[in-house]
Amino acid sequence: MRRLLRRVRPRTLAARTALFLLLALMAVQAAGLTIHALDRVDLQRAAMERETSSRVFGLWRSMVISPPDRRAAMLAELELPEGLEAALEAGSAVRTGMLPAPPEVLRMVRPEILLGGPPRWRAREVQAGMGFGTLYVSALLPDGSAWVNLRLHMPPLRPWHSETFLIAFLLMTVAAAALIVWATRRLTRPVRDLARAANALGRDVNAPPMPEDGPLEVSTAAHAFNTMAERIRRFVGDRTQMLAAIGHDLRTPITRLKLRAEFMEDEEQRGKMLADLEEMEAMVNATLAFARDDAAAEPSVPLDLAALCRTVLDEAADARPAAAPETFAYEGPERLTVRGRPIALKRALANLVANAANYGNAARVVLVPPGAGGAAPGTIQIRVEDEGPGIPEESQEAVFQPFRRLETSRNRETGGVGLGLPIARNILRAHGGDVVLRNRPGGGLLAVATLPA
Amino acid sequence: METAPHILVVDDDREIRDLLARFLEKQGFRVTTAREAREARKVWPLGRYHIVVLDLMMPGESGLDFARWLRGQSDVPIVMLTAMGEETDRIVGLELGADDYVAKPFNPRELLARIRAVMRRAHGEGARRDPLPSAIRFGGWVLEPQRRRLLNPDGAEVPLTGGEYELLTVLVERPNRVLTRDMLMDLLRGRQAGPFDRAIDVAVSRLRRKLEDDGRNPSLIKTVRGGGYVLAADVERAA
Repeated sequence: MRRLLRRVRPRTLAARTALFLLLALMAVQAAGLTIHALDRVDLQRAAMERETSSRVFGLWRSMVISPPDRRAAMLAELELPEGLEAALEAGSAVRTGMLPAPPEVLRMVRPEILLGGPPRWRAREVQAGMGFGTLYVSALLPDGSAWVNLRLHMPPLRPWHSETFLIAFLLMTVAAAALIVWATRRLTRPVRDLARAANALGRDVNAPPMPEDGPLEVSTAAHAFNTMAERIRRFVGDRTQMLAAIGHDLRTPITRLKLRAEFMEDEEQRGKMLADLEEMEAMVNATLAFARDDAAAEPSVPLDLAALCRTVLDEAADARPAAAPETFAYEGPERLTVRGRPIALKRALANLVANAANYGNAARVVLVPPGAGGAAPGTIQIRVEDEGPGIPEESQEAVFQPFRRLETSRNRETGGVGLGLPIARNILRAHGGDVVLRNRPGGGLLAVATLPA
Repeated sequence: METAPHILVVDDDREIRDLLARFLEKQGFRVTTAREAREARKVWPLGRYHIVVLDLMMPGESGLDFARWLRGQSDVPIVMLTAMGEETDRIVGLELGADDYVAKPFNPRELLARIRAVMRRAHGEGARRDPLPSAIRFGGWVLEPQRRRLLNPDGAEVPLTGGEYELLTVLVERPNRVLTRDMLMDLLRGRQAGPFDRAIDVAVSRLRRKLEDDGRNPSLIKTVRGGGYVLAADVERAA
């Protein structure tokens, strides 16, 4: 039951508010219409009373003034309102044992007027009684020759009997529903905007601030959000600056050490020292690349992504002269032009290819144009496949965190500071794309980078 | 012609300055050092320098301003030392007429190779000291030496490896001239350290692929029987 309720209950704030308001409004409407209907019943009854009593009086008058032998014919000609029957009979229609007529029913006929008026019009006797929803009133004519027997079938009260009632109810409900839906959507829009802004902030610290307008509560929330974003921005900025400063300042001592190494006599030791320094330099450069928002400074230009893939692969191959040439392979179109920042994109792809080569023994780059096998329309896929052990599924997202390295699968010789993937992801996201990892069914890791076409 | 080429090294870090001087002297150069631009201006008239190694980031007057001043005085070759990634500075430097740049922290041997290559280009080749052209057009393609990039006929940038870029530069600088492998190796040595001289042919075939030149029937970079290559295209330079 509770599960059913949960399923029926709408999930969005707007829908919930709308539903609640609509139900409340329908209840109010029903109550209002009921009051209105009861009023109508009273009116109906008063009108009926007036009508019936005046007809009864008219009937009585024609009976009194017409000669006795014409009375039956007159009675037949008289038009009577619905539910009222009249007959001229020798005896009273009111039987003993009938219930006394309640006054509000008796008012319909108003027998007292039959007893009023000038003496020659006055009824000799009037009897009244109720039986089975019918009011019996019998009056003995002034000359005492016959009884006028009136039978009034009480019409059932039909307060709901009106087509306009249902139509009005439906129309008002629909109009109110439309208004409520519109209003709640409008009212909850700031909440959606806030969610969107928070999402954007998660992807890009420098996302534009929220507009601080609208109702007081909304503008207060927007202001609070912007303040928080500003604090985060400053925090990230400070950290970034610190990283950049450290990286920058390390370059001078590294340069000195490289020069000093040239004066070492021991060839072997010099080579090792230079290798260490190269590694340090690579780390500093990676840190700087991560810390500095290079991508933002570089202009976006049209570039050939196919040539970029090939260049990255060629450079990776050149850096590993010992590797077999088929270790690095490209598959895809000869030319594919996109808009992007060449140096940043090259770094992103080079990081993916270097990971594949270092930890996966091979790097196969497959460039998939938009709409072609596996790529969504409007999206370009760059798939980097390797032949390594892959990465456990639970760690596939963690390796995108800065300085996170999977020590078990990566030994010291392969180097790196754990910034390759975060840098690649930063760059691709700044281009409106992304990169994710997954294991290939046949073994090996697959990095799927996407770019908007 | 003096026996030892004279180098002016301008760098604000004393250690680097001294170590660099010692290193270059060991390689057979004569070295004068200057702490910053002001001092460099003072020592400039005192010697005849073959090349200037200039740090871009210095206190006081920047390396760029000094390079601009120097270009007004002389067309001595300049090799700039830049910090990694300072892309705009590098481009401005090349536009100002620096001949090459080396990113800090640099490998001393790479710097040496660049110095030798720049000197060979400046003095060896009929002392042609034109500033780098902004664009070189050939067969619909555009090479932009100041920005070190190649644009395809659609205007899209075609990324090249360092070796491919150097090879293409050598080829477009000598259009319609047959260059043997030995000549290419000689022209490229020093420009590109590492495995480049291992495979001129590999570099040519990669470059052909990027220029969309059919390897079996090339029209841009033609193979010459007996082991050489020629860029068969009209080349148009824009300053």
